[in-house]
Amino acid sequence: MVDGVPAVEAVGLVKRFGGLTAVDHVDLRVDVGEVYGILGPNGAGKTTFLRMLFGLIRPDAGTLRVFGRTWAEAGPTTLDGVAGFIESPRFYPYLSGRRNLMLLAGLDGGDADSHIDQVLDVVDLADRAGDKVGGYSFGMRQRLGVAASLLRDPQLLVLDEPANGLDPAGIRDMRALVTRLAGSGLTVLLSSHNMDEVEEICDNVTIMRTGRVAYHGSIDELRAQAPDPSHRLATSDDDHALRLSAEHHGVSVTAHHAGGLALRAQTADADGYLIALGRAGIAVRALHLEIAPLESLFFMLTETGSAAGSASGSATGSTSAGLRPRSHNVTGATP
Amino acid sequence: MTAPVTTTSTDGPAMVRPRPVGRGRVITAYRWEIAKLAAQARTRATLAVCLVAPFVFVVLLDRQDRLPKDTLYGRWVHASGFATPLLILGFAAQWVFPLLTCLVAGDIFASEDQHGTWKTILTRSHSRSQIFWAKTLAATTFATAVLTVLALSCLTAGVLLVGHQPLESLSGTLLPAGRAAGLVLAAWATALPPLLGFTALGIMISVLTRSSPAGIVGPIILGLLMQLYAFLNGADAIRHLLLVTPFDAWHGLLAAHPYYGPLRDGTLVSAGYLVLCLAVAFTALRRRDITGG
Ligand SMILES: Nc1ncnc2c1ncn2[C@@H]1O[C@H](COP(=O)(O)OP(=O)(O)O)[C@@H](O)[C@H]1O
Ligand SMILES: [Mg+2]
Repeated sequence: MVDGVPAVEAVGLVKRFGGLTAVDHVDLRVDVGEVYGILGPNGAGKTTFLRMLFGLIRPDAGTLRVFGRTWAEAGPTTLDGVAGFIESPRFYPYLSGRRNLMLLAGLDGGDADSHIDQVLDVVDLADRAGDKVGGYSFGMRQRLGVAASLLRDPQLLVLDEPANGLDPAGIRDMRALVTRLAGSGLTVLLSSHNMDEVEEICDNVTIMRTGRVAYHGSIDELRAQAPDPSHRLATSDDDHALRLSAEHHGVSVTAHHAGGLALRAQTADADGYLIALGRAGIAVRALHLEIAPLESLFFMLTETGSAAGSASGSATGSTSAGLRPRSHNVTGATP
Repeated sequence: MTAPVTTTSTDGPAMVRPRPVGRGRVITAYRWEIAKLAAQARTRATLAVCLVAPFVFVVLLDRQDRLPKDTLYGRWVHASGFATPLLILGFAAQWVFPLLTCLVAGDIFASEDQHGTWKTILTRSHSRSQIFWAKTLAATTFATAVLTVLALSCLTAGVLLVGHQPLESLSGTLLPAGRAAGLVLAAWATALPPLLGFTALGIMISVLTRSSPAGIVGPIILGLLMQLYAFLNGADAIRHLLLVTPFDAWHGLLAAHPYYGPLRDGTLVSAGYLVLCLAVAFTALRRRDITGG
């Protein structure tokens, strides 16, 4: 492979479904070896983008290259060295897990079938491999999907919301698996609607919102733009506490929609304010973090009006104005 | 953010593996289509019914005093075991043949939609064309298998349960047992072209509608409508273009002076349906967006 060719490169990619533009001029570049996140709420266009990558749907405009190859020129060989799944992986319910993998290995060709036991072990399905997939739980099917991907011995692993629909234990296991795979040097393209998931393992992210790129850049740059942490505060005298906040710089206090107060401030500023409350004879009865800073930034980028819509990691200064917290939005979006 | 490619894989990058190409891939995919069919209860049940039903039919018919005299060879079913397969052949053309082939042909594409597995198989190393031909070949194989099993089973049931008496030809002459057996099998073989025509029709409808029920019932209804048209309109030109007409081509073989015109025309018409339906299905499958699953 030519050095410097990105694993994935999209330029001006567009996909329309009737009148709806599901992917709207998206530019995106994933370099070899990095762990890249596509983040966005439901309906943002993540799956549509990944379907185009896999050649399942055809773009209406723009180009999409995978290791320098396009579908128009290379056909299915575009996917050489690429594996993954779109939404929840699907298999033939009337075949066993192992038979399903054998079938896919057959379609891959080469010696893929000699890896079957190995990949079943990796995803912890060796015991149930002889059972029909029709009897598998959702989480088992998800893991079989990962196994089916690893069978291709990929250089680029594409996972579309792999933790979606899993129970908490399943989410934990899936994250651990993805983290382990990402740590092995594989290039990973991961889509998610969950900031947490992406923040932990991704180097770079693209945040999408109704088909458009709302942000792209590194997680570190994103962190620098994140707004103040948001807390819910309960005091012995909320009215007084609210009035007092006006005297404190860097502290925003508003009425919380569910009662009590919403406090948004950096830690140092919040400390000063809380001490002042005590001095004024106001008791702090409860204080808890409601939304982590990155998560609240994510909500702002993907839920507020167009002001934040064009933020970009490469243009931090010019867009910070659009990132100012809006309390009604952030406090309303408790996870 | 760029790591050397060589660190990413356990035993060599996937791209350097030798892989079958072109036709080899169609054969690989075809083998898996056959394996999938073999694993489905429906396929096995269909073949089992084809194997057993003729025997049941003959036994039931044996207990009846009234014979199906309206149907060709109906009045001779007690006189010669060779009449049984011909009676069933005439009857099967009405809706049984379209049903039998479309149980697979009308489902083999749509079941990928139903299970959401298009994305599973199309994200490996096979092109849509390769998968299309593999599935089409598998459906054709099934149609041929069903026809063969049914033909042999009808012939065996007739000969074993009724006997190998000489068979009366359509012109009234008597055909000795050996000749009759050969003609019976030849008559069944003439059903293959229109059967493959219905196979292609089922494939087309199931690709277009992405629905197994439509792929199975659609061709049956079309077949029945064609029969109705033929019944109402006698011998006009359109009748020759119907896919059910070739099912009668075997009558020519059983005349005292055999004639093959209908067989030739029927094969051409069947081939026309086959090419047209497969072309439409192929184009549709190549173009469509796989958004389900
Ligand atoms: N087959 C389709 N037909 C019409 N609209 C679609 C289709 N697939 C997706 N969409 C629309 O495209 C938008 C993006 O969807 P999707 O890519 O699935 O988002 P995400 O994966 O980020 O949740 C949504 O508004 C969705 O309703
Ligand atoms: Mg999605």
